[in-house]
Amino acid sequence: MAGAGSIEMGKIKEAPVAPPIRRDLLEALQTGAISMAVMLIAAIFFSRIIGPLFTLGNVEETVTDVLSRLLLLVMPYVAYIAAASVARRYTYIDTARALGLAFTTTLALFSVVSAGHYVSDTGVFAPRPALQMTLVQSDAGIRVESVVAGGAADLAGIQAGDVITAIRRDPVDLQAFNRRVSQSLEGDPLRLRFIRGDEELQETVRIVLLSGKHFNALLPGLAFALAFTAIIVFLPGQWAPYIALVGLLSPLLIGYFWVIVATFSFRTEGLVPLDGNDNFGGLTLKNWESIFVGNIAGLEFNIVPIFMTSLAIAVVMTFIVLLVSSMAGYALSRMNFPGRRFFLSFTLILHGFPAITLLIPIFFVLLRLGDIPFIGELIGFNTIGGIALVMVAFQLPLGVWLMKGFFDNIPWDMERSALIDGASRWRTYWEILLPQIRPGLLALGIFAFIGGWNAYIIPATYSIGSGVSNLPVFLEELIDATAPVDWNQVAAVGLFQLIPIFIFFIFAQEYLLNIYAGGAKGTS
Amino acid sequence: MRITIDNLTKKFGDVVGVEDLTLHIDDGEFVAFLGPSGCGKTTTLLTLAGIYKPTEGQIRFGERVVNQVQPKDRNIGMVFQSYALYPHMTVFQNIAYPLKLKKVAKNIQRERVQQVANVMGIGNLLDRRPGQLSGGQQQRVALGRALVKEPDVLLFDEPLSNLDARLRLTMRGEIKHLQKDLGITSIYVTHDQVEAMTMADRIAVMNGGHLQAFDAPDELYSRPKTQFVAGFVGNPPMNFVSVEVSRSNGRFIAETDRLRLEVGGDRGGAAAGFAGAVVMGIRPEDIQISGDGDIAGEIYVVEPLGREDLIDVRVGPHSFLLLAGAETQYRAGEEVKLAFDMDKVQFFDPQTEKSILWQQ
Ligand SMILES: Nc1ncnc2c1ncn2[C@@H]1O[C@H](COP(=O)(O)OP(=O)(O)OP(=O)(O)O)[C@@H](O)[C@H]1O
Ligand SMILES: [Mg+2]
Repeated sequence: MAGAGSIEMGKIKEAPVAPPIRRDLLEALQTGAISMAVMLIAAIFFSRIIGPLFTLGNVEETVTDVLSRLLLLVMPYVAYIAAASVARRYTYIDTARALGLAFTTTLALFSVVSAGHYVSDTGVFAPRPALQMTLVQSDAGIRVESVVAGGAADLAGIQAGDVITAIRRDPVDLQAFNRRVSQSLEGDPLRLRFIRGDEELQETVRIVLLSGKHFNALLPGLAFALAFTAIIVFLPGQWAPYIALVGLLSPLLIGYFWVIVATFSFRTEGLVPLDGNDNFGGLTLKNWESIFVGNIAGLEFNIVPIFMTSLAIAVVMTFIVLLVSSMAGYALSRMNFPGRRFFLSFTLILHGFPAITLLIPIFFVLLRLGDIPFIGELIGFNTIGGIALVMVAFQLPLGVWLMKGFFDNIPWDMERSALIDGASRWRTYWEILLPQIRPGLLALGIFAFIGGWNAYIIPATYSIGSGVSNLPVFLEELIDATAPVDWNQVAAVGLFQLIPIFIFFIFAQEYLLNIYAGGAKGTS
Repeated sequence: MRITIDNLTKKFGDVVGVEDLTLHIDDGEFVAFLGPSGCGKTTTLLTLAGIYKPTEGQIRFGERVVNQVQPKDRNIGMVFQSYALYPHMTVFQNIAYPLKLKKVAKNIQRERVQQVANVMGIGNLLDRRPGQLSGGQQQRVALGRALVKEPDVLLFDEPLSNLDARLRLTMRGEIKHLQKDLGITSIYVTHDQVEAMTMADRIAVMNGGHLQAFDAPDELYSRPKTQFVAGFVGNPPMNFVSVEVSRSNGRFIAETDRLRLEVGGDRGGAAAGFAGAVVMGIRPEDIQISGDGDIAGEIYVVEPLGREDLIDVRVGPHSFLLLAGAETQYRAGEEVKLAFDMDKVQFFDPQTEKSILWQQ
């Protein structure tokens, strides 16, 4: 039936030849087993070989350990995916058979994994923290049905018929109680409050680890594995890239989600906004209000000049970087002059030079510049101009190279043609050449703007003790000035800082799309 | 506009682009620069346009020396091989650009562009961008842009080499027609000798940066002054064979291994007067396969060209290309007799490669 269905859908024109069932089963099993083996070996490699090497070097190191455990954790699922993707190929012949194949393989792989867990006392078969008594929820509290003779509860003096009401002073129900137990480690004391007859008593019970091998515990895992496999088999192929993308981006997406939620809430626990009583809710505009009011936990400020400083640095920088880079790039691409090669290699070296090492020398340069009358007020120490100048200098090597590359790609003939048509060199540059490198200018402009907008080290270094501070510097001041730090408030300032970047990107994206949709690609 | 090029040399560092070129082009003349790749055609053209400054020599437009004049002040129009249209401008803006630079009034611009576009047959494409045009249409836009400002000189750098054979034929006719109509002095660079032969009033043949010959197409074809010109002009190329020409009993005999041919009086006399071996050249159409030919040869390859077959005949160590009607059914390996039309042979000095018959 499924075979006929897929023919109707027009996916295949000839009757497909189904391979013998045992061969595809073998292939699926093999694929699953190989991926499992690879991950297992990788996990062992990290925990047994790389890890000890670090320890030998007296380095406290947990990355390899975490990595190894992560690999072991995802190993079965990678194997299911590998096997199910083999089975997927047969969906076009017979859906039922593909599913059967996937399930059989998954079952086999699951058994192997479980057997491994059984033997090594890990996974579902790992010893569990327990108190060795059976409990039921009753109206009065948690009633003890029975205790294991000689077990932890028995040793502590708990008897059948006792009704547990609280751990220390926190009232509990059965669910909370079990959760508390399962999260405890071996030997942890739990002080239980319970009622025996009319008396209210307290006893401390110590957690023990029980290696009870309950096969029932396998069932949820198996069900999940089978459902997982079924999804893989039926997942439309074109979704795969999106799922992978969302999966890989999820840390970022979750991060942004938190920032947004946090700015609008009083307090957050994970991604959940909470009010003063730890209940869901507590949404507020206070974090945003205080930015515009200009008072955060006693720190008084005016956001407008800070914002304008950021904007001024970014805009001035973008403008100068674009202007100088494009002109220098043009000269380097089109003209031959003494020192051209040296200049090219030198800018490349400058680009690789870490900016931090130059902080102090540049400080002196700016100080001296500040001594020059008139000019000093524009580009000296503690001026926006000075900060922009230094940042421009750091951006230029990249910009010049980028622009040279773009100019190199413009055919000479286009320029010659313009000159012969009667344009001066300047006009040719502005009217003919610059439009050809618009995407490059835009890319460099975005780099420069974002670099300028988010700049922290240079503004922080060259505007000490002055009124000049941009948003990133202000953010740092905010964190310094408040104790304890109100992270929701910090998130609001951070998000506020991001807004212009978002706007910039929305416009830039439209512009970029226009460039490519407009067919402006060269004809020659 | 008369163009006078005197002893023009252009070097790029040590690389010679063109050397010691002297060329006088009359007003309204259509001159083709013909030569193999890298011989300096484009270099000469760009020097005329003012993109390159001459290393030595002088260029005059009319009476004006233009060596130091900027390209924009030379009033020339140029069509590039790559068309070099401005991709960010519409067809209208492309064609109007030279007028805009001349500060022609907007309404006159519009009128002139429309007029030129109509002549070029692209009047309905003015709103498109170059990227949305076919190669042939782009070519017409480029031509329109060069023509719109009514230049004194038109320069073409292999403008047709990116078009298919059919379109090339049409455009060839159109360009020639336009040029004659407008009477604009034109220089047309090409390495396709058919293009040069059919379009030009005179052809300047160049090789290795030097001018080889500057003459009308017929002259170049029938009276080549150097062996290079003889070999380069004409398709399929001239056959060359080294012979000794001697006089016996008042007749002139050209002779070499397996070849013995009688040469007519004038040509034979000049060749016989030359001491030692000379290079004899004979065009493919001057050799016939015929029963009463006196040279025996063997067909090596037959290449059908459609209207006729190109046949490579081996005579001992020598190889001759010749043409035969397509209806003939020659096969490789066949033995044939050849008849040479010895009244049309050329003789060249093997050392200087200069013609023995025609002196410069
Ligand atoms: N800008 C340049 N720098 C250095 N050498 C150059 C330059 N332009 C041309 N040449 C050299 O000058 C010589 C002549 O080049 P030119 O472009 O004039 O040849 P061409 O006859 O136009 O050839 P083609 O038919 O391939 O276009 C070549 O050897 C070339 O390498
Ligand atoms: Mg060229």
